[in-house]
Amino acid sequence: MSALIQPAEMPGTDDTPREAASGVRLAVRRFLRNRLAVAGLCVVAFFVLFCFAGPLVYSTDQTHTALQQVNLSPRGDHWLGTDAVGHDELGRLMYGGKVSLVVGLAAGVLATVIGTLWGATAGYAGGWIDAVMMRVVDAGIAIPALFILLVVSAITTPGLAGMILILGLVSWLVPSRLIRAETLSLKNRDYVLTLRAIGGTHARAILRHILPNSVSTLVVATTFQIADAILLVAYVSYLGLGVQPPATDWGGMLSAGLNAAYSGYWWLILPPGLAIILVVWAFNAIGDGLRDAFDVRGRG
Amino acid sequence: MTAHRKDTARPAEPILALDDLGVVFTTESAQVPAVRGVSLEVRPGETLALVGESGSGKSTVALAAMGLLPGNARVTGRAAVAGTDIVGADEAGLSRLRGRTVSMVFQEPATALDPLTRIGKQITEVIRNHHDVSAREAAARAVDLLRRVGIPEPERRAAAYPFQLSGGQRQRVVIAMAIANDPALLIADEPTTALDVTVQAEILDLLRRLAAETGTGVLLVTHNMGVVADFADRVAVMYQGRLVESGTVEDVLLRPTHDYTRRLLAAVPRLEVALPDDGAAANALTKPVPGTRTTEPPREKGRTPAAQEGTPVLALDDVSVVFGRGRRAVRALDGVSFLVRPGETLGLVGESGSGKSTAARVALGLITPNAGTVSLFGTDLAHSRARARRRLRAGIGVVLQDPVASLDARMTVGECVAEPLRVHRRELSARDRRGLVEDVLERVRLPRALARRAPGELSGGQRQRVSLARALVLEPRLLVADEPTSALDVSVQESVLEVITELQDELGFACLFVSHDLAVVQHFARRVAVLRGGRIEEQGPTGETLLHPETDYTRRLLAAAPVPDPVVQRARRTERLAALAAGRTEGGA
Amino acid sequence: MSTPSFLIRRVLQALAVVVIVTIVVFGLLHALPGGPARGILGPQATAQQIARFNHEQGLDKPLPVQYLYYLNQLLHGDLGTSYTLNAPVSRLIEERLPKTLVLTVLSALIGLLLAIPLGMWQAVRRNRPVDYVITTLSFIAYSTPVYFLGLILVLVFSQVLPWFPSQAPQGDSLADVFSEPRALVLPVVAGAASMVAVFSRYMRAATLENLSEDYVRTARAGGARSRAVLRKHVFRNSLTPVVAMLGYYVPVLFGGALVVEQLFNYPGMGLLFWSAAQASDYPVLLGCVLVIALATVVGTLLADIVQRVIDPRVKAGRA
Repeated sequence: MSALIQPAEMPGTDDTPREAASGVRLAVRRFLRNRLAVAGLCVVAFFVLFCFAGPLVYSTDQTHTALQQVNLSPRGDHWLGTDAVGHDELGRLMYGGKVSLVVGLAAGVLATVIGTLWGATAGYAGGWIDAVMMRVVDAGIAIPALFILLVVSAITTPGLAGMILILGLVSWLVPSRLIRAETLSLKNRDYVLTLRAIGGTHARAILRHILPNSVSTLVVATTFQIADAILLVAYVSYLGLGVQPPATDWGGMLSAGLNAAYSGYWWLILPPGLAIILVVWAFNAIGDGLRDAFDVRGRG
Repeated sequence: MTAHRKDTARPAEPILALDDLGVVFTTESAQVPAVRGVSLEVRPGETLALVGESGSGKSTVALAAMGLLPGNARVTGRAAVAGTDIVGADEAGLSRLRGRTVSMVFQEPATALDPLTRIGKQITEVIRNHHDVSAREAAARAVDLLRRVGIPEPERRAAAYPFQLSGGQRQRVVIAMAIANDPALLIADEPTTALDVTVQAEILDLLRRLAAETGTGVLLVTHNMGVVADFADRVAVMYQGRLVESGTVEDVLLRPTHDYTRRLLAAVPRLEVALPDDGAAANALTKPVPGTRTTEPPREKGRTPAAQEGTPVLALDDVSVVFGRGRRAVRALDGVSFLVRPGETLGLVGESGSGKSTAARVALGLITPNAGTVSLFGTDLAHSRARARRRLRAGIGVVLQDPVASLDARMTVGECVAEPLRVHRRELSARDRRGLVEDVLERVRLPRALARRAPGELSGGQRQRVSLARALVLEPRLLVADEPTSALDVSVQESVLEVITELQDELGFACLFVSHDLAVVQHFARRVAVLRGGRIEEQGPTGETLLHPETDYTRRLLAAAPVPDPVVQRARRTERLAALAAGRTEGGA
Repeated sequence: MSTPSFLIRRVLQALAVVVIVTIVVFGLLHALPGGPARGILGPQATAQQIARFNHEQGLDKPLPVQYLYYLNQLLHGDLGTSYTLNAPVSRLIEERLPKTLVLTVLSALIGLLLAIPLGMWQAVRRNRPVDYVITTLSFIAYSTPVYFLGLILVLVFSQVLPWFPSQAPQGDSLADVFSEPRALVLPVVAGAASMVAVFSRYMRAATLENLSEDYVRTARAGGARSRAVLRKHVFRNSLTPVVAMLGYYVPVLFGGALVVEQLFNYPGMGLLFWSAAQASDYPVLLGCVLVIALATVVGTLLADIVQRVIDPRVKAGRA
C-alpha cells in the first residue's frame, strides 16, 4: 500500500499530509492494529469452534435426564459438573451456545435488514414520508423491547424461527435511524446530484451509489446489532419466552441456575454467564474496531 | 499608509527566527516530511508573506512557530519567538508565550470560535490567561477590542454567540482575540481565504492598520498572490517543504528568479483592470513577468456568427426560488433571467449567498423554481414529460466544485466516466463503452490506463479532469460548471481551464460557468452576469461589464479583488480607500 | 426558529408518536386471544357475557370506531381493570410508578456522574492503558445481563460480605423507601452499570470529536492550558450530543428497572408488569406499556428542550 502524497496537486489549502490509500486494505490494517478488536475476533472464533466443533470432541447426552447424578460439582467425567436434571454442564454450554449464537446472529442481521430498508426509504424519500416513517420509529423506540417481549410471551410461545422473527422485529429501530442519517447525507453528495442532473433514475442512485457507500455503516451496525441480539436472547429466556426444554440457550441455563446459585452451585451460573459476557463483549469490541477502521460515525 | 518600508539596515532583533526548521509527520503508513530546512526571520513591524500551494508546508511552518503542531509531528531545528525557543518547550512555557507574545489568526472563521461561548467571554479569556485583571476590567477591554476591529455596537455584540455573526465579523473577533495582549508577532494563516473578496479587502485593511499602529511583526501565510501584493513587505516562497526563494515583494512578484516562482506567477489568473489614472482604456495589466509567457488577452469566443444564432441552449426567465416557509423563508433567487446561446460561455459571478450556485442548480433541474420558467434546448422543463425531460438531460454535462465529493470513491475512474453512457446509451456493448471512456479520458489529457484506478488515488486536478471527462462523454451541448477549479491550486486550475477551453473549441458546447473569481471569469467567459442577493445586478459582454461596470456594486467588487502586482495593487488600494472615505462612513462588515 | 414555534412543532411531533403508540397498543389488545372483552372481563367470562359485553361496549363496531372509543377511554384516564388485582390499572400504576422513578432516576444520575468524567478522561488519554482498561470494563458492563450482574452483586455484597441487604426497600410510601437507603444501593448499582458503559462511550466519542475542532486550537493559541480548554470549552460542547441521547435512553432505563425490580423484589411498576405477565393480566401489561411510552416521549421532549437551553445554535434552528 502506498500513501499517495502529491503535495503540488492536493485540494484544499491545509497541508497536513493526507492519505488516499485503498480503503478496504487500510481499514483492515487499522482494524488489526486495534488490540481489543482482534481479541474480540479471537473470542468469537473460539466460541464458534467450541459450540459447533466442540460436541465432536466432547460428546454428551443433552436429551435424556439423568436424575441419579444431578447438581454434581466439576469432576473427571463431568468437567463442569451437571445441572439440576443431570445434563453435563460443559456439553450443555456447547449445546445452548449454538442456539444463542444462531438466534443472535440471525436476529441481528434481520434487524439490520429491516432497519436498512426502512431507514433508506425514509431518508431518500424525504418530506412527509420521512416524517411519518420516523415518527413510527420514535414510537417503536418509546416502547422498551423487554416489555413487548413479555406481552408476546403472555400471548404465545414461539419456536426458534418465531423467536428470530420477534427479536428482529423489536430491534430494527436503532439501525433504521443510523441508515436514514447516512442516506440523507449520501443523497446530497455531488456524484448523486450529478447523476440526477443528467437524468439518472432514482433506482440507479440508490443501487449504484447510496447502498454501496453505506456498506461500512451497515457492517458496523450489524456487528453491534448481533451483540445486542445475543444479549436480548439471554433476557428472553430469563423472561420465560426462550426455547423450551430440553433445548436451551445460555440465557436459559443462566436463569435455570439462578436458584441454584444460593446453594453454592457456582458451576451452573458462572459458565453460561461468562459465555454471554464474553461473546457480547467480543462483538462490541469488533464493532468498535470496525467503526474506527471504516471511520463510521455514531453508534445508536 | 506608508507605501515603502525599504529594507535599510534594521537594528531590531527578529521577533521570529526559524533556523533549519524541519517537520516530519508520522502517519499510519509512512513518515511524511512536510517541512525541510526552512530558515527565515520576521522583524518587528514588517510583514513577511509565506506563500506556496497546498502541501508546500507553509501552514505547518506557521503552526510550528506557535508550537501548535499535532502530536504526530516531529520537529527539528530551531524556532524562536522573541528569543524564546519554541521547539522542545514545555506546555507551561508555550502557553505563557501564546496569546501574549505571539498570536494567531486562522483560516476558517466558521469553526475557529467556540460555538457555545459568547464572543466577549472568549476575548476576556485570552486577556485573563496573561493578565491578572478582574472579570469586569477584562470585559471592558474586550468591548474596546471589538470596537478596534470594527464590530458595530460592541457593547451589545460582546454578548453574541459566534453563529449570530457573519463570516467577516467572526474573523474580526478572532483578530480581536489575537491582538488582545498586543503581541509582538501575529501569525495569520490564510486569514481571508474563506471570505468573499469585499470582506477580504476589509479584513486586510484591518490587519494592515493594526500592524502599523502597534509595530507588530506579521507572518502571513497565503496562497493568494493578490493578497501578498496587497499586504506584504517581504515574500518567502515554499515548494514541497522547502524555501525556494525569498526577497522583497517587488523582487519576488515582479522579478522572480526561481523557476517554480515563475511558473506559479504565470499560472495566476490576472484580473484586467481599468487603472484609475487611465479610466478610458482597458489597460492590460502590467509589465509581463520576465522569462514567462505573457498573459493572454481575453479569449475571443464565438467569433463565428452562427454560434450566436439558433435557440438558446438554456434560458431562465424571471426565475424565483424561495427556501423555507413563513418568516424564515429565504429568497435565494428573485426574478432572475439569462440565456446561454449555443457555443458561448456565460459566466455567473457573485459572492457567497448571491444565488449563483442556486441558479446553476435550477438550470440542472435539481431545484424546481417557485416562479418563472426554465427552458433547456428550447423546451420548457415544467411542461414536458418525465421521460422527455430525461432525454433532454442527456445534453447536459456537469462539473461541480468539490473534487473529492464529485466522484464515488467505491467506483473506478472508468465506471465513473461511463455512468452517463449507462444512463442514456444502454445499447452500447461493454467494449464500445470502454472505448468511449478511454477516448474521452485522453481528450481531457489523462492516460487511458487511469480508467482502472480508484478516484482516491488521484490528485485534485486529476479528479476534476475525470469529472470533466464524465461530463463530456455524451458530447453534450451544454456544460454546467459550478466553481470547477475553486478547490484547486492555481497551477492545476490553469491546466484544467485550458482543457475545458480546448475542448470547447473542438466540440462547440455552450458553458454556464459559475465562479466567485472575477479574474477566472474574465478570461473564460464571453458574457457575464453579476449576481447579488439573488438578483442579477448587471449582465453583458465580459469585456465591458468587468472593465467598465455600470453599477456601484460591481465596481466595488472589482476594486476589492487584489491583483498580484504590488505596484498596481498599491495604487488600487489607495484609490479604493479614498473612494471609501469619500463615499460612506464606516459601514462595518 | 423562535422558542414558541419550536415548542409547538416539537409537541405536535410528540403527540404523533403518542398516537402511533396507542395504535400499537390497541392492535396488541385486539391480537389477544378473545380480544379486549376477555381482557377486561377476565378469563372466566362465558361466551354470552363476552358477546353482551362486546355489544354494550360497541366492540362489534368497525375497528376505527372502536379505536376512537379506546382513545376516549384513555383521555379519561381509564386504562381498564386488572383482573387479578381487581383494581383500576390507572390506580395500580399511580401507586407503583413513583417507586420505579426513584430507582431509574437514581441509577441515571449516578450513571451519568460516573460516565461523563470517565468518558472525558478516556478521550484525553486516548489509546493509552487507561483508555483500554475503561473501554474493556465498559464493554463488560454493557455485555452483562442485568439479572446476572444483580445476582453477582447479591452474592458478593450481601452473602459473602454482609454489607447490603439483598432485598430492595419494601415500604409502600416513598418515605419508607428512603428510610432504608442501604437497601437501595445494590438495585441502583445494577441499574446504573450499563448506563455508565453506554454514556462513557458517548462522552468519549463526543470529547474526541471536539478535541479536534478548530476552536480548541484557537483557545490554545490564546495561551489557554490544556486543562482550561477542556474545562471551559470542550466539556460543554461535548455534553450537548450526550444530552440529546438521554431522551432515547428512557425506555432502556425502564427495561432495566423491569429486571432489577424483579430481582430485588422491589414493588415498583416493573414488578407489577412482571407479575401481570405471569398471570396474563393484559390490561395491566398494556397500561404499563402506554405509560412507559409516554414517559419516553416526554423524556425526549425534555432532552430537546434542555439541549436548546445549553446550545444557543439549536435555538436558532441552525445546528
